[in-house]
Amino acid sequence: MTETILSVRDLRVTFETPDGPVSAVRGVNLDLKSGETLAIVGESGSGKSQTTMAMMGLLAANGRADGSVTYRGREILNIGERALNGIRGKKITMIFQEPMTSLDPLYRIGRQLAEPLRYHAGLSARAARPRILELLRLVGIPDPERRINSYPHELSGGQRQRVMIAMALANDPDILIADEPTTALDVTIQAQILELLADLQKRLGMAIVFITHDLGIVRRFADHVAVMRYGEVVEDGAAEALFAAPKHPYTQMLLDAEPEGRKEPPAEDAPALLTGDDVRVTFHLGGGLLAKPTPLHAVKGISVSLHEGQTIGVVGESGSGKSTLGRALLRLTESTGRVAWLGKELPEGIDAMRPYRRELQLVFQDPFGSLSPRMTVGQIITEGLLIHEPTLSRKDRARRADEALAEVGLDPSMRNRYPHEFSGGQRQRIAIARTMILRPRVIVLDEPTSALDRSVQKQIVTLLRDLQAKHSLSYVFISHDLSVVRALSDHIIVMKAGEIVEQGPTDAVFDAPRQDYTRALMAAALSTTRFRTAS
Amino acid sequence: MTDATTNAAPSRSLWQDAWRRLRANRAAVTSLIVLIVLGLAGIFGPMISPHPYGQIYQQYVRVPPSLEAYPRAEEIEPAIESLIRRARVEAVGAEVEGQTATVAVRSDQPIDTRITRYFERSDQFTNPQLELADDGMTGTLTVTVDRNYFLLGTDNLGRDMLSRILIGVRISLAIGLLASAMALVLGVAYGAISGYLGGRVDNVMMRIVDILYSLPFIFFVILLLVFFGRSLFIIFIAIGATEWLDMARIVRGQTLSLKRREFVQAAEAMGATRSGILRRHIIPNALGPVIVFVTLLVPKAILAESLLSFLGLGVQDPMTSLGLLISEGAQNMRGAPWLLFGPAATLTVILFALNFLGDGLRDSLDPKER
Repeated sequence: MTETILSVRDLRVTFETPDGPVSAVRGVNLDLKSGETLAIVGESGSGKSQTTMAMMGLLAANGRADGSVTYRGREILNIGERALNGIRGKKITMIFQEPMTSLDPLYRIGRQLAEPLRYHAGLSARAARPRILELLRLVGIPDPERRINSYPHELSGGQRQRVMIAMALANDPDILIADEPTTALDVTIQAQILELLADLQKRLGMAIVFITHDLGIVRRFADHVAVMRYGEVVEDGAAEALFAAPKHPYTQMLLDAEPEGRKEPPAEDAPALLTGDDVRVTFHLGGGLLAKPTPLHAVKGISVSLHEGQTIGVVGESGSGKSTLGRALLRLTESTGRVAWLGKELPEGIDAMRPYRRELQLVFQDPFGSLSPRMTVGQIITEGLLIHEPTLSRKDRARRADEALAEVGLDPSMRNRYPHEFSGGQRQRIAIARTMILRPRVIVLDEPTSALDRSVQKQIVTLLRDLQAKHSLSYVFISHDLSVVRALSDHIIVMKAGEIVEQGPTDAVFDAPRQDYTRALMAAALSTTRFRTAS
Repeated sequence: MTDATTNAAPSRSLWQDAWRRLRANRAAVTSLIVLIVLGLAGIFGPMISPHPYGQIYQQYVRVPPSLEAYPRAEEIEPAIESLIRRARVEAVGAEVEGQTATVAVRSDQPIDTRITRYFERSDQFTNPQLELADDGMTGTLTVTVDRNYFLLGTDNLGRDMLSRILIGVRISLAIGLLASAMALVLGVAYGAISGYLGGRVDNVMMRIVDILYSLPFIFFVILLLVFFGRSLFIIFIAIGATEWLDMARIVRGQTLSLKRREFVQAAEAMGATRSGILRRHIIPNALGPVIVFVTLLVPKAILAESLLSFLGLGVQDPMTSLGLLISEGAQNMRGAPWLLFGPAATLTVILFALNFLGDGLRDSLDPKER
């Protein structure tokens, strides 16, 4: 017999801004039964996070929540900090997306874990210790006696998220709210954390509210799904039924948003444009007046050859050296080994490389960070022309900017706007327009779709494919997202710790991975088996 | 192109947009106008003022501010009488009629026509004319009453405060703005270059800043004055040369965080030159804190100047500055509060205006503010 422990009725969240009130959540109704997993799915800006923030009384100062949220029959919305603190952190707890910033870097994790115990259970620091060790063991931190004295920076991202979970579990909560808990983690770690959550839920019998944009996770994890858009729940139902027969067009669109299709292979005799031979990159970390710096080998002797019209997909987890490889190929970071353009070795040094920069371009992951906030879109796009075609007149530059914007599917009249006025997908289009205006031949795409919503990802993938076909571009596509890589690449390089683990034609690598690491990566990213049944 | 009008739209730059946004900010525009008016008053005010800033009116020492002209009507007769007494003649009767006063004088001895000098030397009367009767013992003395307005009173030496404040505004604004401009240009360029190049260059450049930091300001100024002689120009240099150090550090800090941002890396990947990156990316994005700091720098420079003047290293009497006027006013606060009030109010207005303008500028340079 399961009872409804949390019930949200007509929840509305409004933010007062200088431009008038903005409604983030418009009348949401949700029910959570004990021991159940409710997934709230939606793209960025759908109000899914604000819904839970309102429940927990964590809205920003200019936010206001109306409606009703009842926990076991008791109203908890807008009941004041003091009353709320009896429940939040004790009966309803929360874990956040960013494990790097959710822990205070100045305190040992043991002390941070003791905080909820001391506050809610009234335990002394000494009395809390056995409970902390138990919690650390529960979330699968190895060697808890030693780890209890670690600082957050001494732990990996996955371990930090485990500590956050341990903190949330400290007082045996009824409800755990997880706001994108795995988005910042690598796929294999992500799978481990979700496995842990599913296992803990089974053992402790708590309910989980799981906020995510990733339908793949939802399918494997949730019992009940609520799909949100523009602050409203557009569809709501049991997970299986919803995935089997989505009723609302928006849900269908989300389910279809998985990048699909394959790229046409390049011509057999396409010439090699960019070749790297035994490329090595070593960083020297730390070091001071007397201390010797420690060398970090980020890329350990990798050879690649990029042909005209080809896309090489580079996959690997964070820290595998895939971005560094991309930069070394563009001579943006110091490397040893040979990097050649059309058979001729590329020079080193800013000035010597400048003539080549035009044809070798780079697109970054974060469309929010890669555009200067104080330049108009027109200025951003035409900056390359100032460098490579300084004789162009102002008017010609404006015309070229219009063409480039039209090419990436943006309205040229947006030229005088600033980047912050655009959505993530539009900004990534601007970043692509900035490279396309120079008519390059090779573009290194460093996780260009990772920061974007699924449906936007699909559009960007399509755009990239169209541009490639039109201008016979060659891409080096760096990503940890295997489904996107599959849709774009001819050739796959799987990297781990600076080395190539496996490489080959896309389909061969995906259909028959030879190495354990590749198999683990594929399983974590593309599996559809439910977590709970796995444990 | 389907839409022909979009091609016609000229590209705008950050500065054009900033100017447009600044004009919409009422407080900033008002401040700008106030500063311009004060600046013009500082430049042209002393030229058109009836009282030269150095002129001493011995009869009007420490008179309070007033809209009435000095000498006041009831003071005219006593003043005439006292002058007549000093001239050792006898006044038979005095008549004041508008601007002119007529006095019948008499003496036992022939009257010396040079007694008009007493009136000439006085600040209250001009144009004395003595008409003597034939015997030389009686006569009529006609003088014009010299009406002077001291709207803000006079100081301890009898100098018009309004003229002194105007010249003070000129000196202080000039020092504040020029020294800040020097600190701005030097500090921003130095800090941005040091931060952007990083590594050993940064180390050497910042150690130079540290060394300059450790030089005592007064010692540095004395050194400069000894070498180059005392002049207003050296004071600009001295203040500017010490204030840019803070600016360089602030800008360097900003640059260090900015150069790791992806848009800077994107520009590098595009082949932008170092100076292009500094000009187009680093400096515009570091402007927010820089502008706030400049608005703090201007009053700092004004006060630094008054410290120097107080020590006898800055401007000297009869030239003055707001800082000097305030310190003189502070000493006479009890007996003559207007000596403090006038210059203090002026400085306050300048600082308020600078602050509002600085805030407005910072906001208008941030495209996210609409």
